[in-house]
Amino acid sequence: MKVHRICGVILRYLYLFKHSINRLADAFYWPVIDLLLWGLTISYMKEISGLNVVTVVISGILLWLIVWRGQYEISVNLLEELWNRNLINIFGSPLKFSEWIVSVVLLGLIKAAMSFTFAALVAFFLYKVKIFVYGFYLLPFMLSLFMTGWWVGFLVNGLVFRFGTKVEQFAWSLIYIISPFSGIYYSISILPLWAQKVSTIVPTSYIFEGARQIIFTGKTDLNKLMISFGLNAIYLILSLIFLKKSYAKALDKGLVKML
Amino acid sequence: MSILQVNNLTKIFKTKKDKFVAVDNISFELNEGEILGILGPNGAGKTTTIQMLLGVLTPTSGKINYFGRDFNKNREEVLEKINFSSTYTDFPHNLTIQENLNFFSFFYDIKNRRERVKTVVDLFRLKEILNQQISSLSAGQKTRVNLAKAFLNFPKILLLDEPTASLDPETAQYIRDFLLSQRQKFKVSIILTSHNMAEVEEVCDRVVFIDKGKIIADDTPSGLAKSIELSHVELFIKDGLKRTIELCQGKKIIYKIEGRYIIVDLKEKEIPDFLRQIMDMGVFYDEISIEKPTLNDYFIQVVSKIKK
Repeated sequence: MKVHRICGVILRYLYLFKHSINRLADAFYWPVIDLLLWGLTISYMKEISGLNVVTVVISGILLWLIVWRGQYEISVNLLEELWNRNLINIFGSPLKFSEWIVSVVLLGLIKAAMSFTFAALVAFFLYKVKIFVYGFYLLPFMLSLFMTGWWVGFLVNGLVFRFGTKVEQFAWSLIYIISPFSGIYYSISILPLWAQKVSTIVPTSYIFEGARQIIFTGKTDLNKLMISFGLNAIYLILSLIFLKKSYAKALDKGLVKML
Repeated sequence: MSILQVNNLTKIFKTKKDKFVAVDNISFELNEGEILGILGPNGAGKTTTIQMLLGVLTPTSGKINYFGRDFNKNREEVLEKINFSSTYTDFPHNLTIQENLNFFSFFYDIKNRRERVKTVVDLFRLKEILNQQISSLSAGQKTRVNLAKAFLNFPKILLLDEPTASLDPETAQYIRDFLLSQRQKFKVSIILTSHNMAEVEEVCDRVVFIDKGKIIADDTPSGLAKSIELSHVELFIKDGLKRTIELCQGKKIIYKIEGRYIIVDLKEKEIPDFLRQIMDMGVFYDEISIEKPTLNDYFIQVVSKIKK
């Protein structure tokens, strides 16, 4: 693994970030719009019902941003190479496939840090929600959230290597399949029984439950944290195997055929 | 000294119902400082071969050895020493030329990246358009960026797919001269595909002709051209065009009429006889040109045979 090649890939996507209005909107505009719409709705509900869940919902939005960002960078950057017919230039160089993966994972961390910090500041100024207060306790949960983003991203990339841009929609949509079972804004206990059963195999359900517990009680549920890490580790390994096989399949068909 | 050996390379594309042999058991070598042309009609297997040589397509069987090492086992090390330029790739559209060359330079183990980028920018005359986005470039300018990228890592072997496509004649000649000078100075070896036969004749030391995935000829460009025996003899007939045509028809000589000109295809040794015969018939001509067969003639003859 060569650091200069990883830097090359990161540089490539940072240049894109600089030039692309879409990417800037993804990083800053949409999180703020989410915060405004949800925050104002919840504030209104608080006014008419007296129920204060602003912190819970805003924290949910901020934490979901981490999952989404982690996955999005992995998937959309591969699509970006397909749209630009640049895939052969990238993989016809000494760059290893594993180095490309590490690069987009690091890029996801960088961009998530940027988006999260920006959105958290907006949340503080608009709703006085201080997510950084829980920062230290939330860090392990955040790492687990990233892991979820990574395995969904690898799964999407595996599908793209197999089916090309026909399945590009998954880059934006697949992650949302797990969102209803994750309890981002609500407790898992309100889900129907069958959905609660599904949520037991969804790592993010433990993370959001655990994060809420920190916010309400200040205590970390290590058990939930460990289950989420365990599930994420299993899915991560499986998704990497799937991605590696899919890449081998794409090489067998020829990367040119994907363009 | 051979720096690339291709042995029994085969690529079969399989679908659920069918299979297609794109490259069929081909073997060839590339020597240090040699420029090898790969020719063939569309769909012959040239691009498939180049893709396998680049590692972006897995061969079904066969071996590729670069610098005496198995490409499959030493991919990273080999690709550090080779590079390519191709018409089937593009660059990120909304990045500038400078940004593209910058990030590509990071993929290679180059000591002074900034200096190297500056050098290739100068070599391929990109200075004035350096800050333009790729999307705003003409096809010719993109080709020059492609070549600049290909020379970033001081390659020992270059794979060039139609390197002068879309270039104006002056720039195309500049690129050809540049390639020849790189070969001269640094013993760069080049594998090149092109549909410009004059270009192949000018720069290639050897040509491998592929059809239906098989190598059907491997020779120098002049060697291939010489395998066509017929020369074109063009005469401006002042008097006796009809008699000349009758002679050609009688002797079943292939000919073409353009105004007062007649172009006949003859073997080199038959030319003096033919000229004597028409003079004896009282035909009067005052212009003559004899064109020896070219690689283009070879290509056309082989392809038309294949189509038949």
